[in-house]
Amino acid sequence: MIDLAGVTYAYPDSERNVLAGLDLSISEGSVYGIVGASGAGKTTLAKTIAGFIPHAEGGDLEGRVTVAGLDVPTATLLDVVTRVGLVSQNPFNQITGARFTVEEEIAFGLENLGTSRAEMLERVDAVVDQFGLEELRSRSPYALSGGQQQLVAIASIMVMRPSILVMDEPTSQLDPGGTRLVFDVIERVAQQGTTVVMFEHKLELLRDHADTLGVLAEGRIVLSGSPRDVLADERLAEWGVGSTRFTAAARAAASAGLVDRKAELPVSLAEATGYFAKGANR
Amino acid sequence: MSTLYLDRQSPLHRLNPVTKLVGVLAVVLVVFAVPVWWASAAILVGVVVPIAAFSGVGRRLLVICSVLVGPLLVVLVVAQGFFYPGRETILFEWGPFRFSLEGLQIAIAVGARTAVLVAATMLLLLTTHPGALMTALTERGMPPKISYVISSTLQIIPAFRGRAESILLAQRSRGLRTKGNIFRRAAVLLPLVTPLVLGVFVDVEERSTAMEARAFGSTRSRVSYAVIPDSRAQRVARWVLVIVAFAIVGLAFAGVLS
Repeated sequence: MIDLAGVTYAYPDSERNVLAGLDLSISEGSVYGIVGASGAGKTTLAKTIAGFIPHAEGGDLEGRVTVAGLDVPTATLLDVVTRVGLVSQNPFNQITGARFTVEEEIAFGLENLGTSRAEMLERVDAVVDQFGLEELRSRSPYALSGGQQQLVAIASIMVMRPSILVMDEPTSQLDPGGTRLVFDVIERVAQQGTTVVMFEHKLELLRDHADTLGVLAEGRIVLSGSPRDVLADERLAEWGVGSTRFTAAARAAASAGLVDRKAELPVSLAEATGYFAKGANR
Repeated sequence: MSTLYLDRQSPLHRLNPVTKLVGVLAVVLVVFAVPVWWASAAILVGVVVPIAAFSGVGRRLLVICSVLVGPLLVVLVVAQGFFYPGRETILFEWGPFRFSLEGLQIAIAVGARTAVLVAATMLLLLTTHPGALMTALTERGMPPKISYVISSTLQIIPAFRGRAESILLAQRSRGLRTKGNIFRRAAVLLPLVTPLVLGVFVDVEERSTAMEARAFGSTRSRVSYAVIPDSRAQRVARWVLVIVAFAIVGLAFAGVLS
Protein backbone atom coordinates (compact mmCIF):
# COMPACT_ATOMS: atom_id res chain seq x y z
CA MET A 1 0.00 0.00 0.00
CA ILE A 2 2.76 2.42 1.03
CA ASP A 3 6.22 1.33 0.09
CA LEU A 4 9.23 3.61 0.42
CA ALA A 5 12.68 2.17 -0.15
CA GLY A 6 16.04 3.95 0.02
CA VAL A 7 14.35 7.35 -0.07
CA THR A 8 16.68 10.32 0.11
CA TYR A 9 15.44 13.89 -0.24
CA ALA A 10 16.92 17.37 -0.05
CA TYR A 11 14.92 20.58 -0.48
CA PRO A 12 15.82 22.92 -3.36
CA ASP A 13 18.94 24.98 -2.68
CA SER A 14 19.86 22.76 0.26
CA GLU A 15 22.53 20.12 0.47
CA ARG A 16 21.16 18.56 3.65
CA ASN A 17 19.28 15.29 3.14
CA VAL A 18 16.16 15.59 5.29
CA LEU A 19 15.32 12.01 4.38
CA ALA A 20 18.38 9.81 4.20
CA GLY A 21 17.93 6.23 3.01
CA LEU A 22 14.45 5.89 4.50
CA ASP A 23 12.64 2.55 4.25
CA LEU A 24 8.99 2.32 5.21
CA SER A 25 6.29 -0.20 4.47
CA ILE A 26 2.71 0.29 5.65
CA SER A 27 0.02 -2.28 5.00
CA GLU A 28 -3.44 -1.47 3.71
CA GLY A 29 -6.07 -0.54 6.28
CA SER A 30 -3.66 -0.06 9.15
CA VAL A 31 -3.07 2.95 11.39
CA TYR A 32 0.63 3.78 11.43
CA GLY A 33 1.89 6.36 13.90
CA ILE A 34 5.18 8.15 13.36
CA VAL A 35 6.97 10.00 16.14
CA GLY A 36 10.13 12.03 15.97
CA ALA A 37 11.85 15.07 17.37
CA SER A 38 11.29 18.51 15.84
CA GLY A 39 13.32 18.74 12.65
CA ALA A 40 13.45 14.96 12.24
CA GLY A 41 11.71 15.24 8.87
CA LYS A 42 8.12 14.39 9.80
CA THR A 43 6.51 17.03 7.58
CA THR A 44 8.89 16.15 4.75
CA LEU A 45 7.94 12.47 4.98
CA ALA A 46 4.23 13.37 5.16
CA LYS A 47 4.54 15.48 2.01
CA THR A 48 6.51 12.73 0.26
CA ILE A 49 3.80 10.15 0.91
CA ALA A 50 1.12 12.67 -0.17
CA GLY A 51 2.95 13.53 -3.40
CA PHE A 52 3.73 17.18 -2.61
CA ILE A 53 7.37 16.10 -2.71
CA PRO A 54 8.59 16.31 -5.39
CA HIS A 55 5.57 17.72 -7.31
CA ALA A 56 4.98 20.94 -5.36
CA GLU A 57 8.23 21.36 -3.43
CA GLY A 58 10.75 20.33 -6.08
CA GLY A 59 14.12 19.25 -4.70
CA ASP A 60 16.09 16.04 -5.21
CA LEU A 61 14.14 12.89 -4.46
CA GLU A 62 15.83 9.51 -4.87
CA GLY A 63 14.62 6.03 -4.11
CA ARG A 64 11.32 4.24 -4.58
CA VAL A 65 8.07 5.89 -3.46
CA THR A 66 5.05 3.75 -4.26
CA VAL A 67 1.76 4.84 -2.71
CA ALA A 68 -1.71 3.45 -3.43
CA GLY A 69 -0.39 1.72 -6.52
CA LEU A 70 1.17 4.92 -7.91
CA ASP A 71 4.82 5.58 -8.53
CA VAL A 72 4.69 9.01 -6.88
CA PRO A 73 7.63 10.70 -8.67
CA THR A 74 6.19 9.91 -12.13
CA ALA A 75 2.47 10.28 -11.30
CA THR A 76 0.77 13.69 -11.40
CA LEU A 77 -0.04 15.51 -8.18
CA LEU A 78 -3.73 15.34 -9.06
CA ASP A 79 -3.52 11.55 -9.38
CA VAL A 80 -1.90 11.32 -5.97
CA VAL A 81 -4.24 13.72 -4.12
CA THR A 82 -7.29 11.80 -5.29
CA ARG A 83 -5.87 8.69 -3.60
CA VAL A 84 -3.93 10.19 -0.70
CA GLY A 85 -5.38 12.88 1.54
CA LEU A 86 -3.13 15.23 3.50
CA VAL A 87 -4.19 17.09 6.64
CA SER A 88 -1.70 19.50 8.19
CA GLN A 89 -1.32 20.87 11.70
CA ASN A 90 -2.74 24.39 11.49
CA PRO A 91 -6.56 24.24 11.40
CA PHE A 92 -6.88 27.89 10.29
CA ASN A 93 -4.73 27.27 7.22
CA GLN A 94 -6.65 24.11 6.32
CA ILE A 95 -9.72 26.22 5.63
CA THR A 96 -9.41 27.30 2.02
CA GLY A 97 -11.32 30.58 2.28
CA ALA A 98 -12.87 29.73 -1.08
CA ARG A 99 -16.28 28.89 0.32
CA PHE A 100 -18.56 30.51 2.85
CA THR A 101 -20.20 27.62 4.71
CA VAL A 102 -18.94 24.37 6.22
CA GLU A 103 -20.82 22.19 3.74
CA GLU A 104 -19.51 24.20 0.78
CA GLU A 105 -16.00 23.96 2.19
CA ILE A 106 -16.37 20.18 2.46
CA ALA A 107 -17.66 19.98 -1.13
CA PHE A 108 -14.81 22.13 -2.51
CA GLY A 109 -12.57 19.20 -3.53
CA LEU A 110 -15.46 17.42 -5.25
CA GLU A 111 -16.33 20.61 -7.15
CA ASN A 112 -12.77 20.77 -8.44
CA LEU A 113 -12.90 17.13 -9.50
CA GLY A 114 -16.10 17.72 -11.47
CA THR A 115 -18.13 15.26 -9.41
CA SER A 116 -21.82 15.28 -10.35
CA ARG A 117 -23.99 17.36 -8.05
CA ALA A 118 -26.12 14.40 -7.02
CA GLU A 119 -23.05 12.46 -5.92
CA MET A 120 -21.65 15.55 -4.20
CA LEU A 121 -24.81 15.94 -2.12
CA GLU A 122 -24.76 12.28 -1.17
CA ARG A 123 -21.08 12.32 -0.18
CA VAL A 124 -21.28 15.59 1.75
CA ASP A 125 -24.34 14.37 3.67
CA ALA A 126 -22.54 11.13 4.51
CA VAL A 127 -19.40 12.88 5.76
CA VAL A 128 -21.35 15.52 7.70
CA ASP A 129 -23.25 12.70 9.39
CA GLN A 130 -20.13 10.61 10.04
CA PHE A 131 -18.19 13.52 11.53
CA GLY A 132 -21.11 14.92 13.53
CA LEU A 133 -21.07 18.26 11.70
CA GLU A 134 -24.81 18.59 11.12
CA GLU A 135 -25.22 21.60 13.42
CA LEU A 136 -22.26 23.35 11.84
CA ARG A 137 -22.97 22.78 8.16
CA SER A 138 -24.45 26.23 7.47
CA ARG A 139 -21.93 28.16 9.55
CA SER A 140 -18.85 29.96 8.32
CA PRO A 141 -15.73 27.77 8.69
CA TYR A 142 -14.02 30.79 10.22
CA ALA A 143 -16.60 30.92 13.04
CA LEU A 144 -15.55 27.48 14.34
CA SER A 145 -13.16 26.45 17.10
CA GLY A 146 -9.76 25.02 16.16
CA GLY A 147 -10.93 21.46 16.83
CA GLN A 148 -14.06 21.95 14.74
CA GLN A 149 -12.01 23.51 11.92
CA GLN A 150 -9.68 20.51 11.97
CA LEU A 151 -12.70 18.18 11.76
CA VAL A 152 -13.94 20.15 8.75
CA ALA A 153 -10.47 19.87 7.19
CA ILE A 154 -10.45 16.09 7.66
CA ALA A 155 -14.04 15.86 6.38
CA SER A 156 -13.06 17.94 3.33
CA ILE A 157 -10.38 15.39 2.53
CA MET A 158 -12.37 12.25 3.38
CA VAL A 159 -15.27 13.33 1.16
CA MET A 160 -12.88 12.76 -1.76
CA ARG A 161 -12.64 9.15 -0.57
CA PRO A 162 -8.88 8.69 -0.55
CA SER A 163 -7.59 5.23 0.35
CA ILE A 164 -4.84 6.78 2.49
CA LEU A 165 -5.09 9.63 4.98
CA VAL A 166 -1.82 11.31 6.00
CA MET A 167 -2.05 13.56 9.05
CA ASP A 168 0.83 15.81 9.96
CA GLU A 169 0.50 16.62 13.66
CA PRO A 170 -3.24 17.31 13.36
CA THR A 171 -3.73 18.00 17.05
CA SER A 172 -0.62 20.04 17.81
CA GLN A 173 -2.60 23.30 17.99
CA LEU A 174 -5.71 21.90 19.64
CA ASP A 175 -6.90 21.80 23.23
CA PRO A 176 -7.70 18.43 24.87
CA GLY A 177 -11.35 18.62 23.74
CA GLY A 178 -10.35 19.31 20.14
CA THR A 179 -7.74 16.56 20.26
CA ARG A 180 -10.33 14.05 21.46
CA LEU A 181 -12.71 15.07 18.65
CA VAL A 182 -10.00 14.50 16.05
CA PHE A 183 -8.93 11.13 17.44
CA ASP A 184 -12.54 9.95 17.60
CA VAL A 185 -12.89 10.77 13.93
CA ILE A 186 -9.61 9.04 13.08
CA GLU A 187 -10.93 5.93 14.81
CA ARG A 188 -14.02 6.00 12.61
CA VAL A 189 -12.02 6.64 9.45
CA ALA A 190 -9.73 3.71 10.25
CA GLN A 191 -12.72 1.45 10.90
CA GLN A 192 -13.88 2.11 7.36
CA GLY A 193 -10.65 0.60 6.06
CA THR A 194 -8.77 3.79 5.22
CA THR A 195 -5.03 3.52 5.80
CA VAL A 196 -4.02 6.24 8.27
CA VAL A 197 -0.49 7.57 8.61
CA MET A 198 -0.30 9.84 11.61
CA PHE A 199 2.60 12.07 12.60
CA GLU A 200 1.97 12.98 16.20
CA HIS A 201 3.67 13.94 19.46
CA LYS A 202 0.92 12.70 21.79
CA LEU A 203 2.34 9.28 22.57
CA GLU A 204 -0.45 8.05 24.80
CA LEU A 205 -3.05 8.71 22.12
CA LEU A 206 -0.90 6.99 19.52
CA ARG A 207 -0.54 4.04 21.88
CA ASP A 208 -4.33 3.67 21.92
CA HIS A 209 -5.03 4.29 18.24
CA ALA A 210 -2.04 3.10 16.17
CA ASP A 211 -1.50 -0.48 15.05
CA THR A 212 2.18 0.18 14.46
CA LEU A 213 4.52 2.90 15.62
CA GLY A 214 7.65 4.10 13.86
CA VAL A 215 10.36 6.42 15.12
CA LEU A 216 11.79 8.90 12.62
CA ALA A 217 15.29 10.13 13.38
CA GLU A 218 18.24 11.18 11.26
CA GLY A 219 16.05 11.02 8.14
CA ARG A 220 15.04 7.39 8.44
CA ILE A 221 12.79 5.06 10.41
CA VAL A 222 15.09 3.85 13.17
CA LEU A 223 12.56 1.75 15.07
CA SER A 224 9.24 0.23 14.16
CA GLY A 225 6.94 -2.14 16.00
CA SER A 226 3.88 -2.40 18.20
CA PRO A 227 3.12 0.82 20.13
CA ARG A 228 3.80 -1.00 23.38
CA ASP A 229 7.26 -2.17 22.36
CA VAL A 230 8.27 1.12 20.79
CA LEU A 231 7.09 3.28 23.69
CA ALA A 232 8.94 1.13 26.22
CA ASP A 233 12.19 1.29 24.24
CA GLU A 234 15.06 2.84 26.23
CA ARG A 235 16.48 4.55 23.14
CA LEU A 236 13.53 6.93 22.56
CA ALA A 237 15.24 9.68 24.56
CA GLU A 238 18.34 9.41 22.33
CA TRP A 239 16.15 10.17 19.31
CA GLY A 240 14.54 13.16 20.98
CA VAL A 241 11.20 11.43 21.51
CA GLY A 242 9.67 11.68 24.97
CA SER A 243 7.98 8.89 26.83
CA THR A 244 4.55 8.34 28.33
CA ARG A 245 3.88 9.67 31.85
CA PHE A 246 3.77 6.06 33.07
CA THR A 247 7.09 5.10 31.52
CA ALA A 248 8.75 8.25 32.87
CA ALA A 249 7.40 7.61 36.39
CA ALA A 250 8.52 3.98 36.27
CA ARG A 251 12.02 4.98 35.16
CA ALA A 252 12.24 7.49 38.01
CA ALA A 253 11.01 4.88 40.51
CA ALA A 254 13.48 2.30 39.20
CA SER A 255 16.35 4.81 39.40
CA ALA A 256 15.41 5.49 43.02
CA GLY A 257 15.43 1.75 43.72
CA LEU A 258 11.71 1.65 44.52
CA VAL A 259 10.92 -1.00 41.92
CA ASP A 260 12.72 -3.79 40.13
CA ARG A 261 14.88 -2.30 37.34
CA LYS A 262 14.53 -5.46 35.25
CA ALA A 263 10.72 -5.36 35.09
CA GLU A 264 9.19 -4.35 31.76
CA LEU A 265 8.42 -0.61 31.73
CA PRO A 266 4.72 0.34 31.66
CA VAL A 267 3.26 2.49 28.88
CA SER A 268 -0.33 2.75 30.13
CA LEU A 269 -2.22 3.31 33.38
CA ALA A 270 -3.20 -0.36 33.63
CA GLU A 271 0.38 -1.50 33.16
CA ALA A 272 1.66 1.14 35.57
CA THR A 273 -0.79 0.00 38.26
CA GLY A 274 0.59 -3.53 38.03
CA TYR A 275 4.17 -2.33 37.82
CA PHE A 276 3.99 -0.17 40.94
CA ALA A 277 1.91 -2.77 42.84
CA LYS A 278 4.76 -5.24 42.36
CA GLY A 279 7.19 -2.60 43.63
CA ALA A 280 5.02 -1.95 46.70
CA ASN A 281 4.84 -5.67 47.47
CA ARG A 282 8.58 -6.13 47.20
CA MET B 1 -16.22 37.99 7.26
CA SER B 2 -15.87 41.43 5.65
CA THR B 3 -19.15 41.70 3.84
CA LEU B 4 -21.97 44.19 3.56
CA TYR B 5 -24.59 41.49 3.06
CA LEU B 6 -27.74 41.76 5.21
CA ASP B 7 -29.74 38.56 5.46
CA ARG B 8 -33.38 39.48 4.75
CA GLN B 9 -36.33 37.76 3.12
CA SER B 10 -37.17 39.93 0.14
CA PRO B 11 -37.78 39.36 -3.56
CA LEU B 12 -34.57 41.28 -4.33
CA HIS B 13 -32.58 38.97 -2.03
CA ARG B 14 -34.02 35.97 -3.87
CA LEU B 15 -33.12 37.23 -7.33
CA ASN B 16 -30.23 35.57 -9.14
CA PRO B 17 -27.06 37.64 -8.46
CA VAL B 18 -26.43 37.96 -12.19
CA THR B 19 -29.86 39.55 -12.69
CA LYS B 20 -29.02 42.11 -10.01
CA LEU B 21 -25.58 42.70 -11.48
CA VAL B 22 -27.03 43.28 -14.94
CA GLY B 23 -29.54 45.69 -13.38
CA VAL B 24 -26.76 47.66 -11.70
CA LEU B 25 -24.70 47.80 -14.90
CA ALA B 26 -27.76 48.91 -16.89
CA VAL B 27 -28.55 51.70 -14.42
CA VAL B 28 -24.94 52.90 -14.30
CA LEU B 29 -24.71 52.84 -18.10
CA VAL B 30 -27.87 54.92 -18.40
CA VAL B 31 -26.93 57.59 -15.83
CA PHE B 32 -23.50 58.07 -17.36
CA ALA B 33 -24.93 58.24 -20.91
CA VAL B 34 -27.85 60.59 -20.28
CA PRO B 35 -26.40 64.10 -19.88
CA VAL B 36 -29.05 65.56 -17.53
CA TRP B 37 -28.74 65.56 -13.75
CA TRP B 38 -32.42 64.98 -13.09
CA ALA B 39 -32.29 61.58 -14.84
CA SER B 40 -29.76 60.39 -12.25
CA ALA B 41 -31.77 61.95 -9.43
CA ALA B 42 -34.98 60.34 -10.73
CA ILE B 43 -33.36 56.89 -10.91
CA LEU B 44 -31.92 57.34 -7.42
CA VAL B 45 -35.13 58.56 -5.80
CA GLY B 46 -37.63 56.69 -7.97
CA VAL B 47 -35.89 53.32 -8.39
CA VAL B 48 -32.90 52.62 -6.12
CA VAL B 49 -34.21 54.07 -2.85
CA PRO B 50 -37.71 52.47 -3.00
CA ILE B 51 -36.24 49.08 -3.91
CA ALA B 52 -33.75 49.35 -1.02
CA ALA B 53 -36.53 50.30 1.41
CA PHE B 54 -38.77 47.49 0.17
CA SER B 55 -35.89 45.01 0.60
CA GLY B 56 -35.25 46.00 4.21
CA VAL B 57 -31.83 47.55 3.60
CA GLY B 58 -32.84 51.21 3.15
CA ARG B 59 -31.41 52.52 6.41
CA ARG B 60 -28.05 50.78 5.94
CA LEU B 61 -27.89 52.00 2.33
CA LEU B 62 -28.55 55.55 3.47
CA VAL B 63 -25.76 55.39 6.07
CA ILE B 64 -23.23 53.89 3.63
CA CYS B 65 -24.07 56.34 0.85
CA SER B 66 -23.92 59.30 3.25
CA VAL B 67 -20.45 58.26 4.39
CA LEU B 68 -19.16 57.53 0.88
CA VAL B 69 -20.90 60.17 -1.22
CA GLY B 70 -21.49 63.00 1.29
CA PRO B 71 -17.88 64.23 1.55
CA LEU B 72 -17.46 63.85 -2.22
CA LEU B 73 -20.53 66.02 -2.83
CA VAL B 74 -19.17 68.76 -0.57
CA VAL B 75 -15.82 68.74 -2.38
CA LEU B 76 -17.56 68.75 -5.79
CA VAL B 77 -19.82 71.67 -4.92
CA VAL B 78 -16.97 73.76 -3.52
CA ALA B 79 -14.49 72.95 -6.30
CA GLN B 80 -16.91 73.22 -9.23
CA GLY B 81 -18.92 76.12 -7.75
CA PHE B 82 -15.90 78.35 -7.19
CA PHE B 83 -13.50 77.16 -9.88
CA TYR B 84 -15.58 75.97 -12.87
CA PRO B 85 -13.97 77.78 -15.84
CA GLY B 86 -17.20 78.34 -17.84
CA ARG B 87 -18.96 80.36 -15.11
CA GLU B 88 -21.38 83.07 -16.29
CA THR B 89 -24.12 83.32 -13.63
CA ILE B 90 -22.63 84.28 -10.27
CA LEU B 91 -24.78 83.25 -7.31
CA PHE B 92 -22.60 84.82 -4.57
CA GLU B 93 -19.08 86.02 -3.85
CA TRP B 94 -16.78 85.13 -0.97
CA GLY B 95 -13.73 87.36 -0.88
CA PRO B 96 -11.94 86.93 -4.21
CA PHE B 97 -13.93 83.75 -5.00
CA ARG B 98 -17.12 83.72 -7.08
CA PHE B 99 -19.62 80.86 -6.84
CA SER B 100 -21.32 80.11 -10.18
CA LEU B 101 -24.59 78.43 -11.10
CA GLU B 102 -22.88 76.54 -13.94
CA GLY B 103 -20.35 75.07 -11.53
CA LEU B 104 -23.11 74.07 -9.13
CA GLN B 105 -24.98 72.33 -11.98
CA ILE B 106 -21.86 70.37 -12.94
CA ALA B 107 -21.31 69.40 -9.30
CA ILE B 108 -24.90 68.19 -8.96
CA ALA B 109 -24.71 66.23 -12.23
CA VAL B 110 -21.46 64.48 -11.31
CA GLY B 111 -22.61 64.00 -7.72
CA ALA B 112 -25.94 62.50 -8.76
CA ARG B 113 -24.27 60.06 -11.15
CA THR B 114 -21.78 59.06 -8.48
CA ALA B 115 -24.58 58.66 -5.94
CA VAL B 116 -26.46 56.32 -8.31
CA LEU B 117 -23.27 54.33 -9.02
CA VAL B 118 -22.51 53.92 -5.31
CA ALA B 119 -26.12 53.31 -4.22
CA ALA B 120 -26.83 50.71 -6.92
CA THR B 121 -23.59 48.87 -6.23
CA MET B 122 -24.18 48.94 -2.49
CA LEU B 123 -27.74 47.70 -3.01
CA LEU B 124 -26.31 44.71 -4.90
CA LEU B 125 -23.80 43.99 -2.13
CA LEU B 126 -26.33 44.48 0.68
CA THR B 127 -28.77 42.01 -0.84
CA THR B 128 -26.40 39.42 -2.33
CA HIS B 129 -24.35 36.94 -0.33
CA PRO B 130 -20.79 37.09 -1.71
CA GLY B 131 -20.71 33.29 -1.97
CA ALA B 132 -23.81 33.31 -4.17
CA LEU B 133 -22.35 36.09 -6.31
CA MET B 134 -19.05 34.23 -6.79
CA THR B 135 -20.81 30.95 -7.57
CA ALA B 136 -23.13 32.63 -10.07
CA LEU B 137 -20.22 34.38 -11.81
CA THR B 138 -18.06 31.22 -11.84
CA GLU B 139 -20.95 29.32 -13.42
CA ARG B 140 -20.94 31.96 -16.16
CA GLY B 141 -17.28 31.61 -16.93
CA MET B 142 -15.40 33.70 -14.39
CA PRO B 143 -12.08 31.90 -13.68
CA PRO B 144 -12.21 30.05 -10.31
CA LYS B 145 -8.91 31.63 -9.34
CA ILE B 146 -10.42 35.13 -9.51
CA SER B 147 -13.41 33.90 -7.51
CA TYR B 148 -10.99 32.46 -4.96
CA VAL B 149 -9.06 35.71 -4.63
CA ILE B 150 -12.26 37.66 -3.93
CA SER B 151 -13.83 35.08 -1.60
CA SER B 152 -10.68 34.46 0.42
CA THR B 153 -9.98 38.18 0.73
CA LEU B 154 -13.44 38.75 2.20
CA GLN B 155 -12.96 35.99 4.74
CA ILE B 156 -9.29 35.92 5.59
CA ILE B 157 -8.65 39.64 6.08
CA PRO B 158 -10.80 39.83 9.26
CA ALA B 159 -8.89 36.81 10.56
CA PHE B 160 -5.60 38.57 9.90
CA ARG B 161 -6.95 41.63 11.68
CA GLY B 162 -7.45 39.40 14.72
CA ARG B 163 -3.91 38.13 14.40
CA ALA B 164 -2.56 41.69 14.18
CA GLU B 165 -4.41 42.52 17.40
CA SER B 166 -2.85 39.46 19.08
CA ILE B 167 0.64 40.50 17.98
CA LEU B 168 0.03 44.03 19.23
CA LEU B 169 -1.14 42.70 22.61
CA ALA B 170 1.94 40.45 22.81
CA GLN B 171 4.23 43.38 22.02
CA ARG B 172 2.46 45.57 24.58
CA SER B 173 2.88 42.89 27.22
CA ARG B 174 6.63 43.08 26.54
CA GLY B 175 6.61 46.79 27.24
CA LEU B 176 6.11 48.25 23.75
CA ARG B 177 4.42 51.65 24.05
CA THR B 178 1.77 51.97 21.36
CA LYS B 179 0.17 55.26 22.41
CA GLY B 180 1.55 58.71 21.80
CA ASN B 181 2.38 61.04 18.94
CA ILE B 182 2.49 60.07 15.28
CA PHE B 183 6.22 59.22 15.38
CA ARG B 184 5.76 56.83 18.28
CA ARG B 185 2.80 55.20 16.53
CA ALA B 186 4.84 54.86 13.33
CA ALA B 187 7.64 53.22 15.30
CA VAL B 188 5.15 50.58 16.51
CA LEU B 189 4.48 49.49 12.92
CA LEU B 190 7.76 47.60 12.49
CA PRO B 191 7.35 45.18 15.42
CA LEU B 192 3.72 44.68 14.34
CA VAL B 193 4.18 44.27 10.60
CA THR B 194 7.29 42.05 10.65
CA PRO B 195 5.75 39.03 12.45
CA LEU B 196 2.44 39.60 10.67
CA VAL B 197 4.00 39.51 7.19
CA LEU B 198 6.31 36.60 8.00
CA GLY B 199 3.30 34.72 9.35
CA VAL B 200 1.37 35.45 6.17
CA PHE B 201 4.14 33.87 4.06
CA VAL B 202 3.92 30.67 6.10
CA ASP B 203 0.13 30.75 5.87
CA VAL B 204 0.21 31.18 2.11
CA GLU B 205 2.36 28.07 1.68
CA GLU B 206 0.22 25.97 4.01
CA ARG B 207 -3.02 27.19 2.45
CA SER B 208 -1.71 26.48 -1.02
CA THR B 209 -0.95 22.90 0.08
CA ALA B 210 -4.48 22.62 1.50
CA MET B 211 -5.91 23.88 -1.80
CA GLU B 212 -3.87 21.42 -3.88
CA ALA B 213 -4.86 18.60 -1.52
CA ARG B 214 -8.42 19.40 -2.61
CA ALA B 215 -7.58 19.22 -6.29
CA PHE B 216 -7.65 22.98 -6.91
CA GLY B 217 -5.11 22.40 -9.68
CA SER B 218 -7.55 20.13 -11.52
CA THR B 219 -8.31 21.05 -15.10
CA ARG B 220 -11.60 19.14 -15.11
CA SER B 221 -14.85 21.07 -15.56
CA ARG B 222 -15.96 22.25 -12.15
CA VAL B 223 -19.41 21.50 -10.86
CA SER B 224 -20.94 23.87 -8.35
CA TYR B 225 -22.24 22.46 -5.05
CA ALA B 226 -24.40 25.48 -4.27
CA VAL B 227 -27.40 26.02 -6.50
CA ILE B 228 -28.18 29.61 -7.40
CA PRO B 229 -31.85 29.80 -8.43
CA ASP B 230 -32.56 31.22 -11.84
CA SER B 231 -35.67 31.28 -14.02
CA ARG B 232 -36.79 31.92 -17.55
CA ALA B 233 -38.45 35.16 -16.39
CA GLN B 234 -35.12 36.39 -14.99
CA ARG B 235 -33.23 35.43 -18.14
CA VAL B 236 -35.78 37.42 -20.18
CA ALA B 237 -35.57 40.32 -17.71
CA ARG B 238 -31.79 40.45 -18.09
CA TRP B 239 -32.05 40.71 -21.86
CA VAL B 240 -34.77 43.36 -21.55
CA LEU B 241 -32.54 45.38 -19.20
CA VAL B 242 -29.61 45.15 -21.62
CA ILE B 243 -31.75 46.14 -24.62
CA VAL B 244 -33.44 49.04 -22.81
CA ALA B 245 -30.12 50.33 -21.45
CA PHE B 246 -28.47 50.27 -24.87
CA ALA B 247 -31.54 51.87 -26.44
CA ILE B 248 -31.36 54.75 -23.98
CA VAL B 249 -27.62 55.10 -24.56
CA GLY B 250 -28.30 55.17 -28.32
CA LEU B 251 -30.94 57.88 -27.91
CA ALA B 252 -28.60 59.87 -25.67
CA PHE B 253 -25.80 59.73 -28.24
CA ALA B 254 -28.28 60.72 -30.96
CA GLY B 255 -29.04 63.86 -28.97
CA VAL B 256 -32.69 62.96 -28.34
CA LEU B 257 -32.31 63.10 -24.52
CA SER B 258 -30.22 66.28 -24.33
